[in-house]
Amino acid sequence: MGYTIAEKILGRASRAGVPLRAGTEVEVKPDYVLGYDFPGYLDLIFRQMKEEFGIERVAEPERFALFIDHMVPANTPQEEELHIVTRTWCAENGVRLHEREGIGHQVAAEAGYAVPGGFVVHFDGHIAQLGAFGTLAVGIHTQLLEAFVRERIDFTVPETTRVNLSGTLSPGVMARDVFHHLVRVLGPRSCRFQVLELGGPALAGISLEGRQTITGLAMFTGALTAICNPDRLALDYAKAHVAGPFAPQASDADATFAALHEVDLSDLAPIVVVPPNPAGTADLADHAGLAVQAGYLGSCASGRLEDLRAAAAVLRGRRVAPGFQLHVVPTSQAIMAEAAREGLLTTLIEAGAFVTSSSCDYCYGRIATMSAGQRAVSTGTLNVKGRMGSPDSEIYLCNAAAVAASAVEGRIADPRPYLAEGAGAGA
Amino acid sequence: MSLAPLRGRVAWVFEQADFDVDQIVGVENIRLTDADALAACAMRRFDPDFAGKVRDGDVVVGAENFGYGHPHFAPMIGLRRLGIRAVIAESFATGYWREEIAEGFPQIACPGITGLVERWDEIEIDWEGAEVRNLSRGAARPIAPYSSAERGMLQAGGLVPYLRGKLTAEGGG
Ligand code: SF4
Repeated sequence: MGYTIAEKILGRASRAGVPLRAGTEVEVKPDYVLGYDFPGYLDLIFRQMKEEFGIERVAEPERFALFIDHMVPANTPQEEELHIVTRTWCAENGVRLHEREGIGHQVAAEAGYAVPGGFVVHFDGHIAQLGAFGTLAVGIHTQLLEAFVRERIDFTVPETTRVNLSGTLSPGVMARDVFHHLVRVLGPRSCRFQVLELGGPALAGISLEGRQTITGLAMFTGALTAICNPDRLALDYAKAHVAGPFAPQASDADATFAALHEVDLSDLAPIVVVPPNPAGTADLADHAGLAVQAGYLGSCASGRLEDLRAAAAVLRGRRVAPGFQLHVVPTSQAIMAEAAREGLLTTLIEAGAFVTSSSCDYCYGRIATMSAGQRAVSTGTLNVKGRMGSPDSEIYLCNAAAVAASAVEGRIADPRPYLAEGAGAGA
Repeated sequence: MSLAPLRGRVAWVFEQADFDVDQIVGVENIRLTDADALAACAMRRFDPDFAGKVRDGDVVVGAENFGYGHPHFAPMIGLRRLGIRAVIAESFATGYWREEIAEGFPQIACPGITGLVERWDEIEIDWEGAEVRNLSRGAARPIAPYSSAERGMLQAGGLVPYLRGKLTAEGGG
């Protein structure tokens, strides 16, 4: 009986050095330990290390990398002080700090922490998106402290639910729609405590960016993380970004899965996730016409080049509706620079989009805050109450093209007609 | 070492699956950190007099995937301050479970619990027998086992004391 990629990666990261069956309790050594500063997160870990454990320095600083991506730029002296604490700690510990480079989960891939076959921990579950490259990346919440004070952490090898994707995505239907459709088909508790493994013939047709989107949202199926068996595309990316050799893993053909699903993407239409629940999946068409005042295109889930290209394709030669606030926040500075080279930013700006350097702050309502009664379309990660401002504002999650189409109309709009015309109109 | 005995009443049953615990205090209070302030707003929208009825040692019961969404620490800080000593649910959301176990707050997965108890029933957790007993009605349901790390955290009272014990045993880390 074969093993899943997760069983192989965790086996490799354990003292056993060989694949381990799901359910095995084991101590594993993360290849990378990641985190971002936010009040009560890294600052707390730094303090606990010292005060509870008497540890001044992490043992192997090269296995750590931290990010400053929330509260960028700082809005209060306290926020800047928190960043200073992080900068000082990193300098003292010899740990790499990525500041103002973009949203950490994306920067982690660009900086080479998405090692195929590697095991990575963070407190935030959206790190799952390194799974696009065949990395097992898990948000372990407060247990991250263990990775700062010990070489190895306690971990139970999880079971895996495998999803085989088939069919072809229609224009205007994007990776986000695939993920939200999976929540609709599998349900919000289908993968509790498991790894969501994606495969099947349609995966090859989904870009690495799209795979980052899908794997990064895995928590809303209940999954601990998600992963794809790395193909040529993923390995080429890794070779260009990862320092040093790596040992990619893949699930065996006869691996044991907790569940196996076949999902055909051919007839998929754009989706909205209706607030206030990340499992409120519905066809966008059923909600088209609902008035919206704000749009957010960004986050660690979306805001990459293909998202910006899709929005630009909709907005080229058009204008955002009067009074509509469209915020476009590329996921990283590298992506923003590339979007500038491609002319995408010019298109978006000329259409009336407010384009900003990369930051998490739009995603959790720290800026571009909505007031009671306002409604947004968003490529953010969450539509729970109060995520982007007042508890009485609403967030409809959708793909980047749908955000752009809704921005043009000032109401929830299907992007497909725009893309059909746009193909002929060009720029 | 064994887990602390738990015996109390079912102070509330959350019947909704995929329950978002932030609702316990309300999203507008989610940034509060003071336990008394959180206790003051906890459960008010479910039962305005909850604080007056609940007793130290009581538990709350949940349905499937309790803690789904984007849970914060605030609601359970409030519930604990009111005297709630455990959450028993059909099943738990992954992230919520990890967070609260690391806080040392007993989360007990017990398939069938919502059919086993009603509000104000007296229940007991039999850790050795691995079951929840309804003392008011005399039935029981088995509880899902913990990993040794989870059990260790619950016994020690949370992640920090658990890790401290571990590092000491390993010879100072
Ligand atoms: S983009 Fe949003 S979900 Fe992603 S890490 Fe930043 S705040 Fe969190």
